[in-house]
Formats: sequence, C-alpha cells, structure tokens
Amino acid sequence: MSQAESWDETTTPVILRRLARHGAPRFFSADEEPAARALLDHLLAQNDEPKVPVFEMVDARLADGQPDGYHYDDLPRDPATWRWSLQALDAAARERAGVRFSELDPDGQRDLIEDVRICDGRWQGLPAGHLFGVWMRYACSSFYSHPWAWNEIGFGGPAYPRGYKHLALDGREPWEVQEVDAHDPIPWADRAEDAKKRHADGLSSRRPAPDEEPA
Amino acid sequence: MNRVRARNESAWLLPNDGTRTNHRLRHDMRHFDTSEVVDAVVVGCGAGGGVVTQRLARRGWKVVAFDAGPFWDPDRDWVSDEAGAHDLYWNEPRVISGSDPIQLGANNSGRGVGGSMVHFAGYAPRFHPSDFAIYSTDGVGADWPIAYDDLKAHYEDMEAELPVAGQAWPWGHPHRYPHSPHPMGGNGLAFVRGCEAAGIEVRVGPVAISNGRFGNRPHCIYRGFCLQGCKVNAKASPLITHVPDALAHGAEIRSDAMVGRIEVDRARRATGVTYFHRDREYLQRARVVIVAGYSIETPRLFLNSACREFPDGLCNDFDQVGRYVMVQGAPQTSGRYPEEIRSYKAPPPEASSEAFYETDPAKPYKRGFSLQCISPLPITFAEHVVAQGYWGETLREYMRDSVHWATFGALCEFLPLPENRVTLADEQDRHGLPVANFSYSLCDNDRALVRAATEVLNELHQKAGAEEAMTINRYAHLIGGCRMAQSEESGVVDANLRSFGVPNLFIVDGSVCPTQGSANPALTIMALAARAADYLDRAESGR
Repeated sequence: MSQAESWDETTTPVILRRLARHGAPRFFSADEEPAARALLDHLLAQNDEPKVPVFEMVDARLADGQPDGYHYDDLPRDPATWRWSLQALDAAARERAGVRFSELDPDGQRDLIEDVRICDGRWQGLPAGHLFGVWMRYACSSFYSHPWAWNEIGFGGPAYPRGYKHLALDGREPWEVQEVDAHDPIPWADRAEDAKKRHADGLSSRRPAPDEEPA
Repeated sequence: MNRVRARNESAWLLPNDGTRTNHRLRHDMRHFDTSEVVDAVVVGCGAGGGVVTQRLARRGWKVVAFDAGPFWDPDRDWVSDEAGAHDLYWNEPRVISGSDPIQLGANNSGRGVGGSMVHFAGYAPRFHPSDFAIYSTDGVGADWPIAYDDLKAHYEDMEAELPVAGQAWPWGHPHRYPHSPHPMGGNGLAFVRGCEAAGIEVRVGPVAISNGRFGNRPHCIYRGFCLQGCKVNAKASPLITHVPDALAHGAEIRSDAMVGRIEVDRARRATGVTYFHRDREYLQRARVVIVAGYSIETPRLFLNSACREFPDGLCNDFDQVGRYVMVQGAPQTSGRYPEEIRSYKAPPPEASSEAFYETDPAKPYKRGFSLQCISPLPITFAEHVVAQGYWGETLREYMRDSVHWATFGALCEFLPLPENRVTLADEQDRHGLPVANFSYSLCDNDRALVRAATEVLNELHQKAGAEEAMTINRYAHLIGGCRMAQSEESGVVDANLRSFGVPNLFIVDGSVCPTQGSANPALTIMALAARAADYLDRAESGR
C-alpha cells in the first residue's frame, strides 16, 4: 500500500474498497453464514485474525450479481450453487457427527472439504469436481485480489501509470525488495500433502462410502 | 503520409496528451435513424466487426456497428488490477457441457467495443499455409475454400496497422514484422534460455504491442496487465486500431445494444436486426447484415432467429449452424527457479516457437502445437496451484513463493468435430432469449497433442534450470461454429463469407474458420474481415 500514490485514479478506489469495512452479509443468510465462513477460512488456511475478508468479498460479489456467467450443465448458476453446497456441507456434517458443518472441529471440517476434493463422482448429489472448482475460483479471486495477499506473495499490485523498467532475472525496481524467505516450498508442501494423504487413508477405513445411507 | 496512415488513420486520431480516448470524435459520431435502411449493420465490434466496419465506412458505406457491451474509455473504465477487470468478459449466462466442458469468461470471451482483443494477451501470429488444407494433406479436419495466398496481403496490412512487434519469422510462410522485438522480463528470458538449451528454435514476439510510438499511441510501459485491458493504448485492439478511423468516416457504433434476432423476409433476404437497448426493443433496417459475434454468440443468434422460412434456425437447413466449434488445448507448465522471475513484470506474451506446428510423420498424431510464454497474475497462478489438488496451507505456501516461478504454455491444434457445438439451452437471459449450451469433448488426437506438448514444456523448464514443475490442463481461444465451406451441406458461409441460406447475410468473425492451426486467432480473424470488406464493396455496394 506504500505505493498507492503511484496508482491511477480509476484503479485506486477499486483497491481501497477491498480494505474498507464491510457491513452485514447481503447474499448469505444468517443460517448459511457460519458454514460459508468456515469453508472459506479452510480453503485459504485463514486460521487466525487478522484475515483477508474473503467471506465478505464473496458475499458482495454474489449479492451484486457479478458471476462468471457460464455454469456447468450439472450445476445451477453460481448463486444457487453456493446455497446448495452450503446446505450439503451441513447435511454431510450431520451424517458424520450429528452437528452442523460449522460445529465440527477444524480437523473434521478439513476432512469434509478434502472429501469433496478427492471425490470422483457425486458428493451429496452434487458433481464434486465442478463444485470444488467453483469454491476455489471464488475463494482465490477474492483472496489474491487483496493487498495483504500481494504482500505475502511479493506481487507489485497496480502498475499504471508507472510501469516497470527493470526487466531481468533477479531484476528489481527501487521499491521492490528481495524475497526474505527464499526457501523452496516444495519439500514442505510435499510433507504437508503426504501427511494429509496418510490422514485421509486412515479415515477412509471408518468412513461410510459416499452413496451409503447414514446410520 | 505513410502507407498505413493512408489506409487507416486510427492511431493518429487518438489524443497525444496522456489521455487515451478521443472524446470529440465520439461526441460528433454520426447517428442513423432506426427507420433508415443503412447499407450495413455489423453485429459485434471485436476483431472481425471492428475491421469490417472501418473498411466499409472508408468506402462510403453507411454502417451501424452494434456491441452488447460498453464503448470503453481506457482511462475511466479499466483498472490496473486482475479482479477489477471482470467487466471486460462476457459474463452473461451460458451453459457448458460435454466430457471436457470449456470454461468461458476471462479466458476467451469479450464484451464491449474491441471485443476479446481488449483482454487478449497480444500474440498475433499468422496461420501457416498448411492450415488451409489439412484434410488433403493429413486426412483430418477440413480444407478451407480459400488458401493462404488469399489472406497474405491482408495479414501484411493488419501487421502494419496493429502494429506487430517481433523477430523475423522463420515458420510457415517466412516474413518480417514492422516493429522490432520488445525487451523481455524474467519469464521470457527463462523461456528463451530453455528453448536454446533444448535446441528448439525460438523467436521474440510476435505481439500486437507497439514498440516505440505509433501515431499518437505511446510506447509500452511493461506493466504486465495486457489481459486486463491496456490502459496505455500500446497493445492493439479494434477499439484503438480501427474504430477511431471508422468514426471519422461516418460509422456509428451503437454500444450497450444486444442484438437478439436477424429479421428475414419471405424471399429469404435479411431486412435488419432487432436489438435491446436499456430494456427497450428496436429494429434497425439494413441492406446487408454482417454478423461478427464469434463462435458462441453468432451460432446462438442464428438459432434464436428461427422463423417460418428457417424453422430450425437461420441458415440451418443442413444442421451446420453451431457445429465444429474448436478450442486449443493450452496446457501451461510452471517451473520453480532459484532466481527471482517476477513474472508479473513485462507483457505476459513475450516469445514463442512454432517448431512443432506441422505434422511430424514420426509421431502417432496429426498436426502439432506451438510454444509460448505467458505470465499469469496472482489469481490465475493460484488456479495453477489449485489444479495440483492443493488448497489451504499448501496453496498459501506455493503462492508465497510466486516470484520464483516462470510459466510456459502450449497451444495444441484441436480438430473440428461435429459434436463440439453450440445449441440452445433451456434457460434464458435477461432479455428472455435462450442462452447457448456449449458442449465440448476431446478426441484421441487432441489428447495425444496435449501429452506431447506437456512433455516439451517440462523439458524446457528442466533445461532452463527449474527445480520443480507443475502443469495445469486448460484450453484457450474459440474458433469455428459457422464454418466456410464449398457447399451448404458442409458449412454455413461460402469462400466470401456470404451465408448459403440468405444472400445478403454475411459472417465476419472467427466462427467461419474450418480449422485453427496452433496459432492465436486474432490476426487471422482481422485479415478475414479485411478480405470480406473488399469483396462486399465489389459485390454489394449497390450504389
């Protein structure tokens, strides 16, 4: 944000609005809000405050009718997909533990989300792969449009009218800083994914099959 | 006066005071009455519609060009921001289906004057001479009713008018570019390094971005937001390359006007179009109707224009409308480098190779692919990470490392298949018009090309010094859907882009292409439009 003075006057208010305080949800109902918040927090690993207000950004986008337009023929338009899938998360949580999705412990919530990601066919009657794609598209397009996230990943943000002049490998503008944590994330990520997989394998032995009736 | 300016003065009609829109030209725009029978209406003001409007207006035609979206002002309407560019895309409802449904929106669908070229990366290669006869030479796809030589002069004209910057081109029909190649950022440098180490010929460009001042258009500032609309006026789109000259020659651009229907009389001649503007419906009469709505909206408009004379959709007596739509397989592989790449700097399109473009008799598949570097901004790069199955902590960790990643891509020539098509869905848009259902399924040749291209992309990263690589399978571009053909049994328009069914109805957009090569389609669509305008003025001037 220290570079905001270099931005053009059309872009600046668009970015600043993302930093503004948000009012009460306009799309998600009070009933849907807890599941939506928990889901979006997990998708982006926002476990602690302060958070990028992803829930508020997704809510605003759906309330203002700014969908991507196209939808898969086995899913309804985006707003209905969001409502249906939140109900499905609650239903799946009730089947598993007799509580709502937001009332599961964080590990239980993450397990359920991973269920959807790895499901090949239908999950709670919805096409799992397409559904997970819709969730991630809304989550990432909100999170990675926020200046906090740009700081985390070292993205320069808006660049008009200034532009760039130091184009090179390891080339930096006077205001760009070298990455402070230059370690390769892949070994860490591999370990994390391995752990997640082992956890899922361990669970699968005591988990009902997707089409099995709940006990 | 130089030759480009004598043919198309657009770049000289833009302001040179740091603002990007000639408001005086727009304010003084000619307005035609709906009751007047204009010489031509053009439906859609992108690559095809923008060029044909300019060419016909210059020849004295009274032209009204419609666009469903706004008449953009880059200063006021476009932001230097990835999420903020959402309004540039066709976000009206559409249904996607098939075994490989194609995501639309940002990736391939524009809305507003300038069309999807407003947010295209900027690559502007020609098709190869071989592309026009792949059925004869390779036994796949279809032959065009025209040949490369029919487009050659128009390719040259368009490259000068955009203008295109790049190194001399050794592939297809070898040629040079009017502007010299741009300097490259980290992403392009890594790509060229990989190609050179792998022994693959590579060239910088060709990109439709002025390198140096062009008319009153300034030099590129390398800010990297080509896909969000160029606020600089350096990257070409019809909004700045053809529309200003069209206005100066008396064309009307009727924006925010969604054409819902082509009107046809008992004699099977088009009489005009019905359109919606601010929720009211109007009829504009015209002597000639030219449709340039692209591969999804053009077939949809024809199907929605069914009438007593054409009960199954306009010009659809042989069930050809909406068929043979193509996308290109566009896998992208990102590699992790010890150096900082900072791929957000410099235009996303930088360098490319067509070394694998043609059929290799040693391979089990026909046709080929091109290689290009393309730098995703954060939201798009997150899609790459998510495509690996990552979310939560792992997603964040990869993204935190973004500055070390370079992304290379391929465009694979997918074949035209009759079942890859646009039909009407059961749902309607806000005007009550049925929306398009776009169904797509890959064939074996398509899949083999994607596998082969992905192998090469991985090799490039390895040779360039990457430590790890990850691939996302995706698709790019649209083409076909109302193809040109020798006869009405196998296509919708003839070699002059005149529809077989209605003699004064033309299609001048990418939907007419029977095949696509592995080249980005924008330049070819513009060249086809310039050629169509020459023909129209000879055959239909009627004055």
